[in-house]
Amino acid sequence: MPTWKETLADKMEPQLAEEIDAFEMQMALRRTGKLDEKVFAETRLRRGCYGQRYDNGHRHDGIKTQELGFLGDMTKGPDTMWDAPGMQRIKIPFGGVTPEQLDTLADLAEEYSDSVLHVTTRQDFQLHYVHIDDTPNLMRRLAAVGITTREACGNSVRNVTACPLSGVCHSEAFDVTPYARASMKFMLGHPDAQGFGRKFKIAFSGCREEACGLTNMHDMGCLAVTRVENGADPAMPKRGFEVYVGGGLGAVPHSAKLFDAFVPEEELLPLTQAIGRVFARLGEKKNRAAARIKFLVAKLGIDEFRRLVHEEMKTMPADPRWTSYIPDVAKYKDTPSKPPAPLNGQQRPDGFEKWFATNVYRQRQQGYAVATVTLPLGDITASQTRQLAEIARRFSADTMRTTVEQNIVLRWVAEADLPELYRELGRIGLNEPGAGTILDVVSCPGTDTCKLGIASSRGLAGEIRTRLADRLFTLDESVRNLHIKISGCFNSCGQHHVADLGFYGTSRTIANRKVPHFQVVLGGKWQDNAGAYGLAIGTVPSKRIPDVIESITSRYVRERNGAETFQDFIKRIGKQACRSMIEPFMDVPGYEKDRSYYSDWGDPREFTIGDMGTGECAGEVISVTQFDLADAERLVFEAQVHLENETFAQADALAYRAMIQAAVSLVKTQFLDVKDDAGVIVDEFRRRFYDTGILGDRYAGNKFAEYLFRRHASPPSEHTRDHAYRVVEEAQLFIEATYACHDSLTERGAAGVFPAPVQTGKAARNL
Amino acid sequence: MDVHRFGIKLFAADPASVRLEDFIPVFHGWIQKQNVTEHLLIDVHDYSHMQEGPGILLVAHEGNFSIDMGGGRPGLLYYRKIPTTLSPGEHLATILRSAIEAVRLLERDARVQFNLDEVLVLANDRLNAPNTDASFAELKPSLAAALQKVFEASFDLARTTTDPKERFAVTCRKM
Repeated sequence: MPTWKETLADKMEPQLAEEIDAFEMQMALRRTGKLDEKVFAETRLRRGCYGQRYDNGHRHDGIKTQELGFLGDMTKGPDTMWDAPGMQRIKIPFGGVTPEQLDTLADLAEEYSDSVLHVTTRQDFQLHYVHIDDTPNLMRRLAAVGITTREACGNSVRNVTACPLSGVCHSEAFDVTPYARASMKFMLGHPDAQGFGRKFKIAFSGCREEACGLTNMHDMGCLAVTRVENGADPAMPKRGFEVYVGGGLGAVPHSAKLFDAFVPEEELLPLTQAIGRVFARLGEKKNRAAARIKFLVAKLGIDEFRRLVHEEMKTMPADPRWTSYIPDVAKYKDTPSKPPAPLNGQQRPDGFEKWFATNVYRQRQQGYAVATVTLPLGDITASQTRQLAEIARRFSADTMRTTVEQNIVLRWVAEADLPELYRELGRIGLNEPGAGTILDVVSCPGTDTCKLGIASSRGLAGEIRTRLADRLFTLDESVRNLHIKISGCFNSCGQHHVADLGFYGTSRTIANRKVPHFQVVLGGKWQDNAGAYGLAIGTVPSKRIPDVIESITSRYVRERNGAETFQDFIKRIGKQACRSMIEPFMDVPGYEKDRSYYSDWGDPREFTIGDMGTGECAGEVISVTQFDLADAERLVFEAQVHLENETFAQADALAYRAMIQAAVSLVKTQFLDVKDDAGVIVDEFRRRFYDTGILGDRYAGNKFAEYLFRRHASPPSEHTRDHAYRVVEEAQLFIEATYACHDSLTERGAAGVFPAPVQTGKAARNL
Repeated sequence: MDVHRFGIKLFAADPASVRLEDFIPVFHGWIQKQNVTEHLLIDVHDYSHMQEGPGILLVAHEGNFSIDMGGGRPGLLYYRKIPTTLSPGEHLATILRSAIEAVRLLERDARVQFNLDEVLVLANDRLNAPNTDASFAELKPSLAAALQKVFEASFDLARTTTDPKERFAVTCRKM
């Protein structure tokens, strides 16, 4: 019987293939109880395997809470059943996706999920109802088309996002795509980005005024700028970035602070690395609610944070990858499938003009346009995806982009092809107009699938879309171009803070019954890269939110001063007037009078918040050492498998690698930048842990370290069962000793005896 | 053919009678009663906003049921997910019975009638069941036997599409 691993072996990058094999092995270790559930939870999160609602084995069915009888009691994380369906997040750096990749994504949606792909507000794809046992093959099939799910979740550098118009936009300083890609590649799996207390999100934008990059609401936002340096040719300005740090939405939104008005392109990656190192070292680890970098920047102040980052940059060992991509930046370009041609004289199908008005953006390259494929609620079926790939091959360039508004854009469409493209998109139900308008409602998954969801954001979004769909082009233009964004809870995955009309789910108890509500947030600014956050003005029952929208927008049309923006209007009338607009909709009728208030949109069950679980957005805070030690255990497990299979050379090699891995895990607690060289690692380990007696203070003296030294000094001249058996056994004992040492150091650190658990840079090297 | 991920679609007799929103409370009711044999029913998902999508989805551990709108022809689509130790023919018969049980429940609870003279069988596994004549030749005897066993009737079997990107599918019409 063929396997995907064998079938795709020559199509995957070796490193990606090895990582997936390692994950599969970690799954095997977890199944046999040899890997702690918390470590495994963070491990799978860092592979994009996320929990989903009801995975704790409980679900309220509208009458009672049912125990979902998944077979066995095996877990894939704390209170998370192994067999429960989960979500797979798939990272799409800067949203760039090829037709070939779309074909694969469609196949995976059909075979492992529910035949639907969901585009997220950070340009990722998500598949729902995926069984964890299917994830290694799913990842292999993605790897075969150049996609990784690594660090799609967990306390890591998440997807690097960028403006979907990069390279074709009229107002950009330059195309940020190659920088976004370099940033993603550089930080993916970077050792300095493994010890975060929370996630870290990076965004790129080509210009200041538009919304696309949303740099103000990111942990690190990079805005393209140019500067003419002394004596240089004004026609060849120096490229760089205005860099912001410490932005973020969530329950407590922070606007990013200006870190540097001009970071030259060659300093972008070292700066990113240094920011990561400072965040890993000083960021909060225990209190997840205060662990994002925005809290660190607020605590230190931007000046002190900047000073620490610049100090860190001075101590970092040089890395050729910091600049090696720059010579290729100028070569980066999309390849259109057709030459440019103007939109002249072609017969235009019914509905084309409306679609053209809202969904088409004329590129700065004459004769080409960007067409937005509006995805209702960010969803696209597998069948549509496959057909969209064919349409893209025919009309577009070699890449499409997903957008933070949960759509897909086709770039480099010859304008003359737009009518035919419209017809073709219509054939698969994807030529709906209204991109970027009030109809293009953004929503997080909410209670549909998210463990943290309080109210049904997708249900509400669907209802609003239904009510507005036929009226879009009769609405006043000032209303038509407003943005609605909805989150199922205060965590702001739906980005409600930066919408004109934002809503987040909450709950109120009325006569001992729960009623779904939404907090109304008005006046956020989408433009200017998420330029301002909205104002919360009160909660309204979920079922009255469409009426609230109607009331507020009607008043805006009636009372706006000339071309006054919605943000300015909200600011002018003030919070009290805003609240008075929603007050008529705040009352909840008694249960006997109108039961519809007591259930949520699209869900007939009586509303409850009892299904909420523990979210995995924050991941598990697992130290880098724990990860490294878990990896050492995996390697020794693989060595045991080879021993059983009588492949003794491999058993010996893997056992040795396991010992080196365990040794480096301890060395890194004192010297993060240790070279990836077995000789150096052994020397550092000997000096820091053996000669000092630290390794052996609690666990059988130093003798287990000698196993490592002996195997390192004397590799076997021939591979026998006896020798391999001994090395594998010794490796296991050595790993136990390193675990004991780590535990001991952690306890002493907690008691203040071990003051510097991680030192980096020059200071560490001087130890 | 070592495949466990099969799908069965049974079509609504009157497509115009299918109103997707009607199935949401029906599926929630099934979860309350857990009344599909040997299935752990978990959740309901509304995809009614999508063209020719899964419509309304009932997620179970063993397989997913949906009021599928694919091909513009509404019907009950059942996808089996969990591995089996049964022979291919027995496995297919088991899956067919699960799909038929679901349509009987829908006929009772949602008052929608189904046409059981036509069955669409999908192999949801491109690795082990590529969309080829060879797959058809290999599966045909097991499938014919399973249909005979479950429906006590013979069916005419034909490949639904030869597009290599699509999943291997067989249209089965009662003779």
